[in-house]
Amino acid sequence: MQQHPLVAILTRLGMFVLVMIALSIMIFILARVVPGDPARMALGPAANQEQVEALRQQMGLDRPLPVQYLDYAGKALSGDLGMSLVSQRPVTTDLAQTVPATVELVLVSVIFMFAVAIPLGVVTAHYRNRTFDYVGRFLSLTGVTIPSFLFAITMQLVAARYLTDWPIIGRLDHGLAWQGGPTGFLLVDGTLAGRFDVVLNALKHLALPAFALSMAGIGQITRITRSSMLENQRKDHVLTLKSFGVPERVIIFRYLLKLSSIAPLTIMGLEFASLIGNAFVIEMIFAWGGFASYGLTSILQKDLNAVTAVVLVAGLFFIIANLIVDVVISIIDPRLRRKEER
Amino acid sequence: MDEPLLSVDKLNVSFATYGRSRQVLRDVSFEVAAGERVALIGETGSGKSVTAKAIIGTLPNNAAISSGTIRFAGQDILALSKPDREALKGTAFSLIMQDPLSSFNPVFKIGTHLDDVMRFADKRNGISSSKAERRTRIAAVLRRVQLADGERVMDAYPSELSGGMRQRVLIGLALLHQPKLLIADEPGTALDVTTQDEILNLINTLVSQENMALLMITHNLGVVRKVADRVVVMHHGDIVETGACADILSNPKAAYTQALLEAVPPLYGPRVITLPQSDRAPIVTIRGLNKIYGKRPGFHAIRDVDLTLREGEIFGLAGESGSGKTSVARIIMELSRATSGTVAIDAPAPGRGRRLTQIVYQNPGTSLNPKRTVKQTLSLPLTSIGMGSDAREARMTELLDLVRLPQSYLAKYPHELSGGQKQRVAIARALAAEPKILILDEPTAALDVSVQKTVIELLVQLRQDLGLTYLMISHDLSLMRNFCSRIAVMLRGEIVEEGATPEVFADPKHPYTRALIAAIPVVTDAEEQLKPVVTEEERTRFLVKTTA
Repeated sequence: MQQHPLVAILTRLGMFVLVMIALSIMIFILARVVPGDPARMALGPAANQEQVEALRQQMGLDRPLPVQYLDYAGKALSGDLGMSLVSQRPVTTDLAQTVPATVELVLVSVIFMFAVAIPLGVVTAHYRNRTFDYVGRFLSLTGVTIPSFLFAITMQLVAARYLTDWPIIGRLDHGLAWQGGPTGFLLVDGTLAGRFDVVLNALKHLALPAFALSMAGIGQITRITRSSMLENQRKDHVLTLKSFGVPERVIIFRYLLKLSSIAPLTIMGLEFASLIGNAFVIEMIFAWGGFASYGLTSILQKDLNAVTAVVLVAGLFFIIANLIVDVVISIIDPRLRRKEER
Repeated sequence: MDEPLLSVDKLNVSFATYGRSRQVLRDVSFEVAAGERVALIGETGSGKSVTAKAIIGTLPNNAAISSGTIRFAGQDILALSKPDREALKGTAFSLIMQDPLSSFNPVFKIGTHLDDVMRFADKRNGISSSKAERRTRIAAVLRRVQLADGERVMDAYPSELSGGMRQRVLIGLALLHQPKLLIADEPGTALDVTTQDEILNLINTLVSQENMALLMITHNLGVVRKVADRVVVMHHGDIVETGACADILSNPKAAYTQALLEAVPPLYGPRVITLPQSDRAPIVTIRGLNKIYGKRPGFHAIRDVDLTLREGEIFGLAGESGSGKTSVARIIMELSRATSGTVAIDAPAPGRGRRLTQIVYQNPGTSLNPKRTVKQTLSLPLTSIGMGSDAREARMTELLDLVRLPQSYLAKYPHELSGGQKQRVAIARALAAEPKILILDEPTAALDVSVQKTVIELLVQLRQDLGLTYLMISHDLSLMRNFCSRIAVMLRGEIVEEGATPEVFADPKHPYTRALIAAIPVVTDAEEQLKPVVTEEERTRFLVKTTA
């Protein structure tokens, strides 16, 4: 039975919408049941009870929850996520400013992850139970077990002491005359504007936080790649190619690598959740000013609209990342492209 | 030049595992002359595959050749440098692998495998070739293995071809560079009998056309008769007997060879065992059974099947993969629900937790949990029928006696047991809660012939002692001839023939039954002549197409 690709994509999108609705309902309720009155927090301890009541009415907090939600959802569909109580600006404006910083950091981390972990996994599998393998396995285990904020702080300290010129906070040096660009991604905007000093400076700023953020994923993906390579090495098809004299490097880098990349890619999709979670910590340490730090402030301030929006965006990231992973895997593995007959 | 093409002389190979060395080949010596067909026969652990790997040069890292020589066309290949040795692969000799599915990397197209093998062999031989030109050459080779639509085959992924087609591609892979010696490791064993038969015919044709020598590695004596001029019998790393094929099969000298031949179930002749028909009441009645997997339009796995099993009989359900025989068994076991139709079992209702039916699966290596001892495995069904611990102990002792295993085996894990012993444990587990009907799903397909014989004898004895009824599912018709009292043949979800076993074999009505019987590799010429005749037209109508 062949499923039409369009049907598959539409089913996926339908699921995607359902997940977003469920997520929004959940976060909407959660944000409102945690203790603390948002109106009181916004106005501060000096405000009197009438002022607080007035703001509550203005925010619609006195109405039943379902009504509040439907009102919110209706506005959200037309692109209005409400006002932030803290910044006093529309939440969408805040997000537009902060999201690109986080996306840039996360994407560079993902690139780091694959660039380091896949080769390390392949090499440790090849030198199985030899010195290189032991060292690689120790390092990947370290990456998995040590929390990323510890890496972040340690690297920051080391850089501050020994690499005094190396930037340890922020996205860009203040001295650079840079007004920003259309996408908000420094690497993209800098390249478009031909300002390679900006690109280089942004890269330097990215190096430490991106590396700290990718450590856990590097450890995990190295381990998965290694075990996947080892498992596939024993398969008959490797023996087939060997008995016809196809060189080992071709077998490893062409045949085994492609087959063994399916497992790490799947893990990558799941790993994305912890990547976003860790970004909240890393952004604080490196004063990144991304949407994770924005989320953290809004949670502490009980800025309802901002919290809801941040969680929705994080959910969106996770879903999109997994959609991409699914598509890539189905390109790699022909068996997933056609549904089996039984 | 009287030098043989391949000569293996006093070859000793040992495997090192966890610091211990185990010798797997002892002074193995044999020769293959140019154009000669030699079969290397033996059971599991005989060293036949290790011998092939030693010749090709793909022994695992923990294997060591401690002494001996392998000469190919007068050249000592063990003394060659690594690149020179590599250069022989695929060009001087090449290998036909056993399992056509696992022998291809599932995420690469068939053509990629073929092209890489050809490209690197070309490179070693100093030939420069373009991709397009290689594609033409590959298509030509694929035509020789009767895959006319080479373009389609090359663009297909392994999972998109049938088992027979993949096996043909594997043969094509071996033929890419005109080798002088073809080494075939149990080709077609993983396929249906009819497909295996076609594959063996193809190998025979190619070997005689191209004047290649053939080293056939197999455990099947019937295959040997079909494809070999000379036979080398191996047992536990030793060569026990060598001789012309006809001599070995009709007049074996070594006791081991005699026992091996004895264990092969005969298709015709005086050694055939005919079971009496049961005249007792029907115990299982199946009417109008249909099973459709999936929706719109779905896969129609069983079509209007009617079956009646009489109490005490051994009923054989024969068919090839995809014929629906296992689906029928699953429905009887209530592991799966019928789309329509009824299964009635006429027996008094069993007690709590007990079932009237139990099943013994094909591969005891995978049907037993590797992390549980025999005792744990056996106690599970006993606990579920509410037996106390003393009663369980007593029943387990009884069960091990029934399947003729020593009591000490209760403490063993599956990996400590041989294949036959594992299957005995699986049988004991099936019998634990005293079922009335035992479903045997290819119970001996994963076992060596000599072990198969003892397991079958045990099953026959158990049926007599315990008054059981068997439903045996198999594609091995020669085994069914000797084990079943009645037999039904399934094709694409339908029963095409049913009757008392001796009658079906003496005079098969349906062309598909004739084709199935005709495809069984038999040991003697006398049996070969007794096989039913199938016309080419019937063949194309009822057999799965393996060509393209």
